[in-house]
Amino acid sequence: MPVTAASRRLDPRAKLYLLLLANLLLFFHVDTRGEAIMVALFLLPLFAAGRWKNGLRLAVLYFALLGLGLWSDAVTLDGAGGGSGGSLIGMMDGGANDGGAATFAVTAGHVAGLLSVGIRMMMPCLITGAYAFTTTSISEFVCAMRRMHVPEAIVIPCMVVIRFFPTIVHDYRQIRNAMALRGIAAGRFALVRHPVQSLEFILVPLLMNATIVSRDLSVAALTKGLGIAGEHTCMTVIRMSWFDWAFMAVCTVPLALAIGGVL
Amino acid sequence: MSASSSSITSAVPSQPFGTSADSIIAIADTSFRYAHDDAGVAAVNPTVANPVSGNVASPTDRALTHVDLAVRPGETVMLCGQSGCGKTTITRLINGLIPNFFHGPLTGTQVVCGLGGDGDTSGDATAGARDANVAAPVPIESLVPLVGSVFQNPKTQYFNADTTSELAFPCENVGMPSAAIRERVDETAQRFGIRHLLGRSVFKLSGGEKQRLAVASATMLRPRIIVMDEPTSNLDAAAMRDLHDMVAELKRAGVTVVIAEHRLAWCADLIDRYVRFENGAVAGEYTAAEFAELGAEQLELWGLRALDLAPYRAALRAKVGVTGGAPDVAEMAGRMSAGCPRSARGLNDGLPSERGTSQPSVIAAVNAETETASDMPVTSPIGPVIDSASRHPSAASVLANPSVQQTEHQSPNGAAIIATHDLVVGYRRAFRREVADLALYGGDIIGLMGRNGAGKSTLVRTLCGLQKPLAGRVLLHGRSVRPAALTRAGFLVMQDVNYQLFADSAREELLLGLGDADDVIRRPIDLAAVPDTETAGSGIAGAQSAEAARMPYLHPATLGEQADRVLDALDLLPFADRHPMSLSGGQKQRLAIASAIMCGKELIVLDEPTSGLDRAHMMQVGALLRRLADDGKAVLVVTHDEELAALWCDRIIDMDGSPSLTKETI
Repeated sequence: MPVTAASRRLDPRAKLYLLLLANLLLFFHVDTRGEAIMVALFLLPLFAAGRWKNGLRLAVLYFALLGLGLWSDAVTLDGAGGGSGGSLIGMMDGGANDGGAATFAVTAGHVAGLLSVGIRMMMPCLITGAYAFTTTSISEFVCAMRRMHVPEAIVIPCMVVIRFFPTIVHDYRQIRNAMALRGIAAGRFALVRHPVQSLEFILVPLLMNATIVSRDLSVAALTKGLGIAGEHTCMTVIRMSWFDWAFMAVCTVPLALAIGGVL
Repeated sequence: MSASSSSITSAVPSQPFGTSADSIIAIADTSFRYAHDDAGVAAVNPTVANPVSGNVASPTDRALTHVDLAVRPGETVMLCGQSGCGKTTITRLINGLIPNFFHGPLTGTQVVCGLGGDGDTSGDATAGARDANVAAPVPIESLVPLVGSVFQNPKTQYFNADTTSELAFPCENVGMPSAAIRERVDETAQRFGIRHLLGRSVFKLSGGEKQRLAVASATMLRPRIIVMDEPTSNLDAAAMRDLHDMVAELKRAGVTVVIAEHRLAWCADLIDRYVRFENGAVAGEYTAAEFAELGAEQLELWGLRALDLAPYRAALRAKVGVTGGAPDVAEMAGRMSAGCPRSARGLNDGLPSERGTSQPSVIAAVNAETETASDMPVTSPIGPVIDSASRHPSAASVLANPSVQQTEHQSPNGAAIIATHDLVVGYRRAFRREVADLALYGGDIIGLMGRNGAGKSTLVRTLCGLQKPLAGRVLLHGRSVRPAALTRAGFLVMQDVNYQLFADSAREELLLGLGDADDVIRRPIDLAAVPDTETAGSGIAGAQSAEAARMPYLHPATLGEQADRVLDALDLLPFADRHPMSLSGGQKQRLAIASAIMCGKELIVLDEPTSGLDRAHMMQVGALLRRLADDGKAVLVVTHDEELAALWCDRIIDMDGSPSLTKETI
């Protein structure tokens, strides 16, 4: 039992829970302070799993966006002077009346604020998603789903989708090569100029191939007993440790407080 | 009972129906017909270039007719025969895919490991046909622990994205505890020496590694039987050796192995018994000794691949050293006639004399003959003299050049269509390979051989302009050009030709990108190489500007006529209005080549055009290559198929060899 490795990583079910929390965060429009705390918490397991580069990149991005948002708040509040002044009306007023460097800063501040807040609100989901998908093997996910008693009718399509993504990427490249050789929709802008036609040229072979692959996969899966009734086991052992529970609780508390308006 | 089901030289006395105490597989008086046209033959060979070209048109043909087959425990049996002969259907009967996945009327008895088959034991064919499947078929689930299956295409037979999960997959499905699964995975990896493959992404494995994984995965439940359906059709020589060792290990362990295969040589020493199928019936059973005594000629007559590749390898070695230029006509003629022992003269008489003007007549005759023999895929190789003789003149008039004398077999001193200079191919970080200078001339068929990962496909992609060389230059007609120009001049017939067909009908496929409806109007120079134009082939590059001036944009009607001529030349005219995807694999391959001819490509590269093909179809592809080359194209064939390379290629570039070996003298 690789204790050290396992203890550093959360259980897949805990990861799914974090993903759920991130979505709730987005859904309830939690204020900036609560969001920052949650993001910091979400980043921790990414670093713990040794994904330094990925974690740092996401952290820098988030806090840069946060800084930008604060700056835009400051600029717009000063410039337009309104209490809830980060508004479009304030900006237009400024543009109509003054027309100077200050106005430009205000306009820029508004645009920056719009972008930064929009992207920043997606960040918790991105961070937890990146963590869940880069640190979990497919077999772990499958195992987690089976342990949660998800019916096989959902588990198997999930496996197939994961199996199909690389195939589609590969097929797409092959088809683009074939199109280049035939001089069909070749060149950089051909796809943009004739989107519908190009889509047809790409989709038809892609789908044709997908039907063939899916039949082969069904055959392979059947002969390996995917259709056998009864419980399917998993080679990978996953277990909820105290750490998983604790981390889930730690993450839940600030969110609950923020939603409740306490924080 | 059809007469063919009684074996001619039976090594094993045929079992009485149903009662087969000492047989692990007992198939008696079994007939089967695929219910859906796609389920049958298309699935035999779905993604490889050339499945059978006959059965698709007639889905109601019986796949099996009164077949009797008994296999003793521990036996290693090879099922051989031409494409569509029913050997794959037998493997599906054994692993339960028939009748569980592939449906259709099934009669007779099939007992595998003592399971099933007591439904209709009367052996009365007419009664059986009427009330097929009276007994409930054995569910495929109960066969899972008993029969392991390995399929043809390494890319589509794994279900998981990483190797360890793939090995664990069957065990998980039968509900083994996780500790036992881990132990079993470890043990199997040890047993087959694939420990280094564990924990990797399956997508990143080579074809050979994938196939080893497939075999290992099939053995995870310790089945008593392993069936393999053309396991080597995509493999190189080294991967086939690995597979051979795995089969040897299975044989040692007493597992019954049934292999349906075109390539016979790779495991010849392991096979106990050969069962030859013809048209869905057993045509003969032979012990290994009997089979070895049959001789190469007999196998060729049956349309089977060679059992002993030594002569082919010797021919290959001779060709690796050959410098660029015209092939040695006398030597080739001798070899060809040796390769095809049947009299070729008679057929040659039916051919127009223009065919033989510039070509050794023996080759022309052999070409014609193989065409004749193989255009009818399901029939025996000696098959009826079909309309090939009448079709050929048209083919000759379009494909064979009127001005053959000057263009064919350009002298080595003539300008090469494609040449490389100090070329280094690869990807920026992942892969780098220096390629010895090479030159491809019109009229040459060059074989590009070498193990997987030697850089064959990277080189080919570079030559076709699909990727940039890391260093060095690619010369098109002696001038250094950018990749885009190479893409215009070259064409790659992919192994999976399905990617290359875009239009709604075969004729439109040829016109695609040519007509005025499309913004990518071809420049007339591209059409210059369409065979019927007089100047085709003779210094196309040099004549480019003059040609462009002389020939304005072609009228769509003219293009349509030309498309029909090209289709006719490749025997596709009857299918001109069919949807490309409804064609057989061989027809699809020819259609892709037709589109290349229509675009006026000068370099035609084929990637593994004969994988999964029997000898007759392989010879058909070879004859097609020869016709392309005779038309002045430079033909480059990437292949592991030693028989194809030895019989049809003029020169071999061996990517495994040291640079000095592959060095071409220009």
